[in-house]
Amino acid sequence: MADTNKELSPFVTLVSADGFEFHVRRSAACVSGTIRRMLDVQNNFSEAQSGVCHLENLSGIVLEKVVEYFYYNEKHHQSSSVADMDIPADLCLELLMAADYLDT
Amino acid sequence: MSGRARGGKIRAPRRALTKDDVDCESVWEVLHRAFREIHARNASQLSFEELFRNAYKLVLKKKGEFLFENVKSLEISILDTDVKSRIVDLATPSLLLSGSSETSSVEKRTAGERFISALTKSYQDYSIEVGMITDVLMYMDRISTAEGRKPSIFTIALGLFRERILRAAVSEELSMSILDLLEMTLLDMIALERSGEMIDRPLIKASCRMLENLYETITEEESTKLYLTSFEPKYLDASRDYYRNEGQLLLQEADATTFCSQASRRLKEESERCQQSLSRVTEPKIIAVIEKELIAAHIAEVINLPGTGIRAMITNDKIDDLRNLYDLVHRIDQRLKPLKDAVHNLVLEVGEEINKSALQTASEKQQPKAPEKKEPGKGPPPKPLNQQTVAAVNWVEEVLKLKAKYDKLWERAFRCDGVMEKSLEISFQDFINGNSRAPEFVSLFLDQYLKSNGKDKTEAEVDALLDSGVTLLQYLADKDILESYYHKHMAKRLLMNKTISRDVERSMLSKMKVKLGNQFTVKMEGLLKDVELSENLTKQYKDYAAKLEAKKSSKVDLEMHVLTMTVWPIFTSESELRSCVYPAEVAQVKESFEKFYLGKHTGRKLTWMHHMGEATMRATFKKDGQAVTYEVAVPTFCMMVLMLFNDHEKLTFDEIQQLTNIPTEQLIRTMQSVAVAPKTRLLKKEPMSRDVNPTDEFSHNPDFKHQFRKFKVALVSEQSNKVENAEERKETQKKADDQRGLLVDAAVVRIMKARKSLTHQQLMTETIQILSSRFQPEVAMIKKKIETLIDREYLERGPDPANPSYNYLA
Repeated sequence: MADTNKELSPFVTLVSADGFEFHVRRSAACVSGTIRRMLDVQNNFSEAQSGVCHLENLSGIVLEKVVEYFYYNEKHHQSSSVADMDIPADLCLELLMAADYLDT
Repeated sequence: MSGRARGGKIRAPRRALTKDDVDCESVWEVLHRAFREIHARNASQLSFEELFRNAYKLVLKKKGEFLFENVKSLEISILDTDVKSRIVDLATPSLLLSGSSETSSVEKRTAGERFISALTKSYQDYSIEVGMITDVLMYMDRISTAEGRKPSIFTIALGLFRERILRAAVSEELSMSILDLLEMTLLDMIALERSGEMIDRPLIKASCRMLENLYETITEEESTKLYLTSFEPKYLDASRDYYRNEGQLLLQEADATTFCSQASRRLKEESERCQQSLSRVTEPKIIAVIEKELIAAHIAEVINLPGTGIRAMITNDKIDDLRNLYDLVHRIDQRLKPLKDAVHNLVLEVGEEINKSALQTASEKQQPKAPEKKEPGKGPPPKPLNQQTVAAVNWVEEVLKLKAKYDKLWERAFRCDGVMEKSLEISFQDFINGNSRAPEFVSLFLDQYLKSNGKDKTEAEVDALLDSGVTLLQYLADKDILESYYHKHMAKRLLMNKTISRDVERSMLSKMKVKLGNQFTVKMEGLLKDVELSENLTKQYKDYAAKLEAKKSSKVDLEMHVLTMTVWPIFTSESELRSCVYPAEVAQVKESFEKFYLGKHTGRKLTWMHHMGEATMRATFKKDGQAVTYEVAVPTFCMMVLMLFNDHEKLTFDEIQQLTNIPTEQLIRTMQSVAVAPKTRLLKKEPMSRDVNPTDEFSHNPDFKHQFRKFKVALVSEQSNKVENAEERKETQKKADDQRGLLVDAAVVRIMKARKSLTHQQLMTETIQILSSRFQPEVAMIKKKIETLIDREYLERGPDPANPSYNYLA
C-alpha cells in the first residue's frame, strides 16, 4: 500500500484473487520467473510501475504458501540438505498449478 | 506419500479458472492489441499479469500453435510496414551513389551515419519489444520448447528481422539488400577513419553488436553469426586491399623509419578499432592481415632500403627505429630471418673492414719509423710500441667497440632476443676468425695491458679492458693457438718483471678458466708457481750465501728464476745454451748458487739461460778530472762484455767473442746496443757504423753522458720482443699443428676405446665435437690421423667397404 510508485523499493505487493495483500521482499518475489518479468523495469509494464501485482489465478491461501516458499527458497537455495517445507496435502495440487503458472 | 499417511485429503483445485470456456479469438484480440501497444512503446498502460494470464489460458487450452502462428504473422506485418519503411526512407540516393565528389562525400557520410543509426536504433528497439512479448509469452515458449518443437518466439522474431529487414532490397529497382548497404557504409566509415578522420565509433560498435546478435539460421550456432559470416570477411578483404596498397605506397614514398612507425601505428589502430568499434574476435584476424600484407610482404625490402634501412639505423644508433623494426619482424617470423641476415652481413662487413685495416697496419711495419729518424727536431720516436702491437691493440679495441655497440643494440632494440643473440655471436665468430691472426692479436692486446706500462689507465680501466678481452676469447675458434701465444707472452712478462702484479695475472687466469675451462690454464698456472718458488729460493740462497761468505764481502747480488723446463715456452737453440765465460766475480756467485741448489735438490740439472738475464752495474766515467758514476741496467751479455773493459783498453769483436764465448748473433746485438745505439754508447766503436764486423775495435768511451744517473740499456732487437716475425709465426703454427695432431689422436683413441666400433661418419662427428672446444679441427687432418692409427694397429677397418667403419683393437 505504502510503497507504490517507488520503482526500486525493496518491497512489492502481491494481491491474490480474493483480495489478500502480501508485502514481499522484491528479491524473494523474483524467485518466480513470472513475477520477475512482471516487475522488470526495462519492460515497464504497469506492474513494474506500481509495484503491485494482482495475481488473478491464485487464492489467498495458496499465495500465502507461495510467499512462504519464496522466502524459504531465497534462504536456502545455496545450502544443501535442508529440511522439506511443510506442505498441507489438501493444497498440493493447487500449489502445483501455481508453481506452473509462476514459473518457480 | 507423507500427506496421505497423515490422512489429509487432496482437494481438487478449483475449477473456476479452467471452467469458463475461453473464446480463442477474443483472447487473441486482447493480446493482439496489447502487442501493438508494446511495439508502439506504450507498455506501461498494460498489465503484465493480465496478458500473461491470457496467453497462459490459450496455451492451457491447447491453442499454443494458434497463438504462435498469430504472433508470427503479427510480427511480419509490423516489420514489413512500420520498421522497414523507417529504414528504407533513409537509404537515400546519395548514400547509394558510389561516386565521390567533394560535396557528395560529406553528404554521403552524414547520410550513412543517419542510416546506420536508424537501423541500429530500430534493431535495438525491436529486440527490446520482442523481448517483452517473449516475456508475456513465456509460458508458451516453455511448453513448446520443452516439447522440442519450436525455437523460442524471440529467436523467431530476430530471424524475421533478418529476413524481412536486413535481407530486404533497399528499393524495388536495386538488388542491393539493406545488409549490403549497411556493410558498405561501415566499410566506408572505417576507410575514412584510416585516412585520419573522426567517425562515430559507438555507432559502429552498436551496429556490429547487432550483427553479432543475429544468426544465419534459427539454430543460432556460434559460427553463423551474421557478423562472422557476412561482415567480417568483407572487412578483412577490404583491409587486405587497403594495406596492400599502403605497403606499396610507403615503399615508394617513405623511408624505412616511416614505414616501421607507420606499420606499428596501424597495428595499434587496428587492435584499438577492434576493441572500440568492431568486435574483439576480429582482432587476431585483422592483425594477421596487416602482418601479411603490410609487413611480411615488404619487410625484407625495408630492411635493405638504401640510405634508411637497417644499415643507416645501426650506423646512426637509431635505437627506437631498430626496436620498431625488430618488433615488426618478430611478429611475422619468430626466427627473425630477414633481420638476422641483414645484421649478420653488416657485422661481417664492418668486421672485414677492421680486419683489413689491422692487417694493413701490421704489414706497414717499419715504414713510419724511417722518416721520423731523419727529423732530428722531433724528439724520440713514440715509444717502441711496435706497429704490430699497435695493430693488435687497435684491432681488439675496434672489435670490442663493435661488440659493445651491438650488445647495446641487442639489449635496447632487440629486447634481449635469444635468436638475435645467437646470430650476433655467430657473426662475430665469423669475422673474428676471418682474421687469421686473431689469436695472436688478442693475446698481444692482453699482454699490452697486463704489462706495467699500461700507465695512462687506472686499475679499474685496465680491469675492464681485460674483462672485455676475455669475452673475445670465446669467439676464437683456434683456442689452442691463443693458448700458446698467451703462454709465451705471459712467460716473458713474468721473467722481465713487466707484469703489473701477480694478482692481476692470477685473476686473469681465473677469468680465462671460467670461459675456456681448466685444461686451458694449467700451463700458465705452472708459470706463476715457478716464479713464486724462485722468489723463495732467492731468499734462501741469500741467507745461505750470507752465512757461507760472511767474511768475503761479495760485490755481486744474485736474483734468479728457476724454471721447470717443460712448462716454459722459451725456445732454446743449442747455441744459446752454450756455456759462456762469466767475469770472475760473477762466475763465483754462479758456482756458489749451483752448489746450493744442487745440494738442495739432488739429481736436477741446472741450465743457465744467459740471454734472458739482466744485470745492474755501476760504471764510472772520468772526464776532465770529473768522475760521473752511473747505475746501468744491462742484459747479461752486455754485462759480460762491459766487465772486460775493466781490464782491457781496446778489444776487437773477435777478441771479445773469444773471451766471453757469446754466440755470434747475440754478440752482434749486444755490441750494437752498447756501442751503436745513440743513447747508450758506453763504448766507442772503430770504425763508426751501424753494422758490426768481426774486425771492429771497441774501446772505452770517455765522452759518454746520459741525462739520468740510472738508466737501462736495451738489447737492440729485444725492444719488440713480443711480436713474431713471419718465420716465428710459421713455427708457432707448426707447433700448434703438431699439438693438434696429438689431440686428435688422443680424441679418436678415447672415443674408439669407449665405443669399440663406429662408422666413419659417427667417428668424425664425435671427434669434431670433442675437439671444437679447443680448435676447429680439419677433416683432412682427422682422416690422416685415423690412417696412422690404423697403421699403428690401434684401429682396424670394418668388413664392409661400402659402409666404412672402424673397430678398436685392444
